[in-house]
Amino acid sequence: MRRPLILALIALAIESPPCSAQLVVQGVRDLDFGPVIQGIAATVTTADPLRSGQFYFKTPALGTRIRIQFTLPTQLNGPSGATMPITFGATDAMAKGTAPASIPASFNPAVAATFTMTTSVDANVWLGGRVTPAANQRVGAYSNTVIMTVTIF
Amino acid sequence: MRLFTTVSVAVLASLSLAGFATAQTSGTINAKALVRQPITITNGQDLDFGIVIQGTAKSISETAAAAGRFDATGTANANVNVNFTLPANLISGANNLPIGTWTGCFNQAAAVNTVGCTTIASMAATTPTAFGNVAGAGRLWVFVGATVTPGVAQAVGTYTNTVTLTLTYF
Repeated sequence: MRRPLILALIALAIESPPCSAQLVVQGVRDLDFGPVIQGIAATVTTADPLRSGQFYFKTPALGTRIRIQFTLPTQLNGPSGATMPITFGATDAMAKGTAPASIPASFNPAVAATFTMTTSVDANVWLGGRVTPAANQRVGAYSNTVIMTVTIF
Repeated sequence: MRLFTTVSVAVLASLSLAGFATAQTSGTINAKALVRQPITITNGQDLDFGIVIQGTAKSISETAAAAGRFDATGTANANVNVNFTLPANLISGANNLPIGTWTGCFNQAAAVNTVGCTTIASMAATTPTAFGNVAGAGRLWVFVGATVTPGVAQAVGTYTNTVTLTLTYF
């Protein structure tokens, strides 16, 4: 009596590997504003093929429901403690499955977005944004981290 | 019987946990920018051919005293692309005086075209360089030369046109 039940528990464990092993999220390309001029705001759109940020994620199967959530900085950090504001607009994120039939979907990166993987199991997400250097912004290199979290539910 | 009941509860709990388990994974990129000073470009000196004779071409080298000169400021050591918009003719009313064979050089240290002036390989192409660092200030001097070719019946007069230098950070 005990043996079949134990085997059943073992089989259940084998057939249900952790979902996290089937979900992949990768940063592909930095959101790179390049040179920006003191006192002049600079915008990068999701359609920019060189400067937009890019992530890639892969889910276990078609039909998977996911939630995309960003952890966005409010400033970039520069030399000698200098900071520069960075903002993100309502259409500064765009997701598109890798299948030819996939349709791009723009969304607000500041708000969690929910998708169902209907045409492909994987997708790219592009990120735009806007920096606003002050007229006396300290010259130099600025950066900060953007995190994209994908949750299957 | 008691054992069976206990194991059954354990199986149900495992199924329940599996059904509501969520997977969550993150990826990271950087957001980055290079803050630069505005670029200013002023006319340091016109490219001046002086008096030219009908039917006789005249050249001004980029290293000549009469070469045109642009004086630029920006962020020290910052990379910039150099581009020109060059006219095909100098103009005097309805008359054209052909101008071509453009040449150029840039100096990152001083407003001098006789020493330390780096030749621009192609005036029609983008030339990458960088602002120099002159006592902490970003400076760049760009010199241009060219050749005018007046016809034998070239209408006499004063001919002019505009040469435009564009510097772009990269």
